[in-house]
Amino acid sequence: MPSRRRTLLKVIILGDSGVGKTSLMNQYVNKKFSNQYKATIGADFLTKEVQFEDRLFTLQIWDTAGQERFQSLGVAFYRGADCCVLVYDVNSLKSFENLNNWREEFLIQASPSDPENFPFVVIGNKVDIDGGNSRVVSEKKARAWCASKGNIPYFETSAKEGINVEEAFQCIAKNALKSGEEEELYLPDTIDVGSSSQQRATGCEC
Amino acid sequence: MRSMASSSALDGNPPLPFHFSDDERGSTSATTEIVHTIPHSTTSSWIPRKRNLDEDDASISWRKRKKHFFILSHSGKPIYSRYGDEFKLAGFSATLQAIISFVENGGDSVKLVRAGKHQVVFLVKGPIYLVCISCTEEPYDSLMGQLELIYGQMLVILTKSINRYFEKNPKFDMTPLLGGTDIVFSSLIHSFSWNPGTFIHAYTCLPLAYATRQVAGAVLQDVADSDVLFATLMCRHMVISLVGAQKTSLHPDDMLLLANFVMSSESFRTSESFSPVCLPRYNPSAFLYAYIHYFDADTYLILLTTSSDVFYHLKDCRIRVEMVLLKSNVLSEVQRSLLDGGMHVDDLPPAPLSGSSHLVHNRLPSDSPERFKEPDLGIAGPAGLWHFIYRSIYLDQYVSSEFSSSINTPQQQKRLYRAYQKLFVSMHDKGIGPHKTQFRRDENFVLLCWVTQDFELYAAFDPLADKASAINTCNRVCQWVKDVENEIFLLGGSPLSW
Repeated sequence: MPSRRRTLLKVIILGDSGVGKTSLMNQYVNKKFSNQYKATIGADFLTKEVQFEDRLFTLQIWDTAGQERFQSLGVAFYRGADCCVLVYDVNSLKSFENLNNWREEFLIQASPSDPENFPFVVIGNKVDIDGGNSRVVSEKKARAWCASKGNIPYFETSAKEGINVEEAFQCIAKNALKSGEEEELYLPDTIDVGSSSQQRATGCEC
Repeated sequence: MRSMASSSALDGNPPLPFHFSDDERGSTSATTEIVHTIPHSTTSSWIPRKRNLDEDDASISWRKRKKHFFILSHSGKPIYSRYGDEFKLAGFSATLQAIISFVENGGDSVKLVRAGKHQVVFLVKGPIYLVCISCTEEPYDSLMGQLELIYGQMLVILTKSINRYFEKNPKFDMTPLLGGTDIVFSSLIHSFSWNPGTFIHAYTCLPLAYATRQVAGAVLQDVADSDVLFATLMCRHMVISLVGAQKTSLHPDDMLLLANFVMSSESFRTSESFSPVCLPRYNPSAFLYAYIHYFDADTYLILLTTSSDVFYHLKDCRIRVEMVLLKSNVLSEVQRSLLDGGMHVDDLPPAPLSGSSHLVHNRLPSDSPERFKEPDLGIAGPAGLWHFIYRSIYLDQYVSSEFSSSINTPQQQKRLYRAYQKLFVSMHDKGIGPHKTQFRRDENFVLLCWVTQDFELYAAFDPLADKASAINTCNRVCQWVKDVENEIFLLGGSPLSW
């Protein structure tokens, strides 16, 4: 094995239906793209191993369904996420406006310990369509929103052409990893010492 | 290689057994085929290794596995998989969590899904999810019992305090905490197909002359002072003697899990050890400390204490125990008993009538009383007894005979254990039971089960065995067990029966 220890990172992909969440994931994991739209039912799961510096880690990618009827799955799906990816279609204003709802919904449902600093990544997808002529959300507008939400990293991608997909996921992995490490250091202090102190082992030094 | 060392970051819970190093515990990547063994021929050198790390849910070989076990967290992060690499199975693990959580969202809980020949059994223990996927046709209750034991084994290593970490941080990844313990789980899972203790929830003793066991018991009693909660002398998975201080009881499941933990961790064999362990039935939230020492390849002493600073005292206790055992030849008696094996069905008194192909050995116990004669049962003849398990309800102990030569392949023996499990479940079915007797015949064997207030008897016969003579034979088995009970059971003052 190339690394001493492996880490698993849970990544949730959220966004309106049809913005290309599944396509992004397929492009990233399988390097494939299909023009045919198949709605995700509930959620799809894919894994991808990533080498980062000297460590190997596994992305467990939760590709969720965008349709509202699946929203009730929230708590169950979002629990314990290490990173959340918000996807919109640059050709759909509605999908951009909904990012706010998705973000808030996620924070409510997942209730991460430090919501202010929870790692999100925003992706504006489908930049290839019509040579960019049908685009309705400008990069400037998107970046402004990301900045207002605590400097969320922003990427513009084409799942179809494979543009920027790898880069976006690199960033996702890095941020998820960073958050995981902070959590690890933070952990021992969160434990109720009162009830456990008597169980603390001093061990034997022989 | 995952490292055990990271667990020290956790609030002293669980602290490391002090002598472990990464090299000793972390070598889980070796791929070794499991060799099926039966209890009495289990060699101490046999170690089940985590297998088929290159497999994942896309592999045909992985999908063909008959019985999968998974542990995952409530966020869908994999913790353990019997086959394949947990990380490669992350997507599969997520799917399992999604199914469980989806049903949970509806205020319900999923227990069993049937899909063709496969059963998917779910067990939710707070933030820990356990799943078995099996096409072995074992009953739901058996598979559920196995999941409970796997959860118990996890508690032995980490205690229930693990829940607190998940409460604070749902994305908590506990795989590093269990690093190097794959082998403990795979060894437990393997024991589901050879160790009757895993389903009849009792423990078994190594057959020994009464006086020999008395010597062992006396010296354990001698060291069981205020610092020693339990003192137990074991040979493989069998008890030689067991003493509990105060009026505390040790559950047979705890014994099983503790013995499995000790036996499957290779490093315990090489040096005396002081390790935190949790006994889930005794107290799932707290660690006890176990002083563990092997006297030889098979025989080991476990002293359980609540104090973390009595290592040297326990070491002195062990030296005292060891001196007595050596002086009284207990250890050599133990080795002799291992060679002789348990009760041999061919030795069932009285001798079968002519026409039997069975050899008559009088091997057990080597210093046994004269063979029991009961003339009026002679008509039973060669009833074709192949194997039996007798469980004393009062003692919380069972005795399992050696297999007859008619059932000598590991496959046959495993099939028989599965049949016993099924029988056990049906006898204890709360819906339609409990039953008193059951007679069952299929192409593999005749099974007879008899449950009374005092004991349970499970016996397997040749498929052509006659019912009346099988019943007769069962009576003889019960009498036989009674005649030799002071050699096959630990009698009197058992802390398990308080």
